[in-house]
Amino acid sequence: MLTLKVRRSFQDFKLDIDVACRYPVTAVFGASGSGKTTLLNLISGLMRPDEGEIALDGQVLFSSLNGVDLPPERRRVGFVFQDDLLFPHLTVMQNLRYGYDFLSGDEKRFTIDQIVDLMALSGLVDRHPEGLSGGERQRVALGRAILASPNLLLMDEPLSALDQVLKDRIIPYLRHIRTELNIPMLYVSHSVAEILELTGQVIVLKEGRVLAHGDFFEIAHKPDVLPLVEAHGFENVLPVEVIANQSDAGSCRVLFKDQELLVPPCSRPVGQRIFIGIRANDIILCRTRPDGLSIRNVLQGRILGVTRADGKQLVYVDVGKRLAVEVTVEAVKELDLKTGEQILCLVKAQSIRIGPDVE
Amino acid sequence: MIKLTNDELQVLLLSLKVGLFCVAVSLPPATIMGWVLARTSFRGKLLLDGLCHLPLVLPPVVTGYLLLLVFSRRSVLGAFLRDNLGLQIAFDWKGAVLASAVVGFPLMLRSIRLAIESVDPRLERAARTLGAGPIRAFFTITFRLALPGVLVGTLLSFARSLGEFGATITFVSNIAGETRTLPLAIYTFLNRPDGEDAVFRLVIVSVLISFAALVSGEVLTRRMRRN
Repeated sequence: MLTLKVRRSFQDFKLDIDVACRYPVTAVFGASGSGKTTLLNLISGLMRPDEGEIALDGQVLFSSLNGVDLPPERRRVGFVFQDDLLFPHLTVMQNLRYGYDFLSGDEKRFTIDQIVDLMALSGLVDRHPEGLSGGERQRVALGRAILASPNLLLMDEPLSALDQVLKDRIIPYLRHIRTELNIPMLYVSHSVAEILELTGQVIVLKEGRVLAHGDFFEIAHKPDVLPLVEAHGFENVLPVEVIANQSDAGSCRVLFKDQELLVPPCSRPVGQRIFIGIRANDIILCRTRPDGLSIRNVLQGRILGVTRADGKQLVYVDVGKRLAVEVTVEAVKELDLKTGEQILCLVKAQSIRIGPDVE
Repeated sequence: MIKLTNDELQVLLLSLKVGLFCVAVSLPPATIMGWVLARTSFRGKLLLDGLCHLPLVLPPVVTGYLLLLVFSRRSVLGAFLRDNLGLQIAFDWKGAVLASAVVGFPLMLRSIRLAIESVDPRLERAARTLGAGPIRAFFTITFRLALPGVLVGTLLSFARSLGEFGATITFVSNIAGETRTLPLAIYTFLNRPDGEDAVFRLVIVSVLISFAALVSGEVLTRRMRRN
């Protein structure tokens, strides 16, 4: 568990955070300039708080009261940066070993081979970083941070420099770190879709303060959080199973719970479990099963709640997983949507984004 | 093949000795100062910067005279060094080392500073989060990446030392076998009616050493850049 109670003032910005992260993966969400990176710098020891206390699993890393300020190298807090920051003069293997070689035998929680395998780096170990692609570089950076056996891994938008295809390829590796290696993570991102593929636990920062903390779907509809979430387009993420893959039909069929969905073509084998993304404003609500409509995807569910912010409304529908649907105020009135009612969610196949594999 | 006399050989060896010691003595302070100027900011940094670069613009004779003031046998520091450390600097080959080190310092400092500035400071921060202490992070990352620039600085300082004349002759005089380096020897032989052959040989030697230093520096730098 990470407990934070820190203050730090800058010329034009003040950070004042008091929060405890109990879950294996907590995402830190917020607009740029909200203090996300500053927060990670304070935890890692790269920056000093003006006052406060930082403790990780009972070990005090910083305490202005007791005069404790462990230097970064003694905190055992890993850091994966937005740019991979690989050491250009070292090979991939030497990069991986950089932190590992500082550890004594019993501090090493993983072996080099194990991480090379997990991050799929075996063909790259003798190369220099300059010859690697963006995705490969970020995997090396992840492996390097993990091999230093951190008690907490800080990730500062590690995927933001990558395009969507590469992001989807890296996310499964992040899940490996979470589930197989059991390293707690604090994951900074401004992408809701990215966060939801890793965790539901979110800390929302705004102007250097914690705006909300908890389960994403509990806090996302709060009036002050919603605009932040929506600023980048709210995207629902659902785990599904591929049941048919007809490349000639130009589409692919997947199963979500017991409901079938048509999605854009994907090159995954039948039986593979994948994530799909559906943006909240790509969903249409409907009371009765449509007739004479081109839309093929119909998910049936129960309305969990209706919230309002900035003239827009989010309707939460339980379709086996909570789905956020963006509608206009007028639509809610006209349809007379009420909590507990049955409703149909229509989704155009082409608007669905194919995400990464579920491990 | 040029055949040097014993005296001339002595001059050559002394010059090389002074040059090597000059580089060895300058490197640690130039590295520290290079880091300070590249990575820190504080009040009075400009003043420090100017002070470090002063020998570059001062006439070497002035530098030599100032050294004489500070380190002569009668000065406080000179007396202290002699009485407590048994270290004699004025009119000694060690003084010649000091003179060329001071005059060459700005050249070495400038190269090292620029080289350190060109290394992404975040790399060192990454090293810290991986468990490296500040000193180790500096040497394994920043200094290692700055090495080509450090080498260039070292070479410039070495070359400057081989050419040092004004500060040396003012500070430690022109004593055969003690402070008479190549330029001083050439100057001395020039003033002798029968010295022309010796001057010619020493000039050839000077050209050869300087050229060898440049070429080997270039080769090393290229090899380092490739790795």
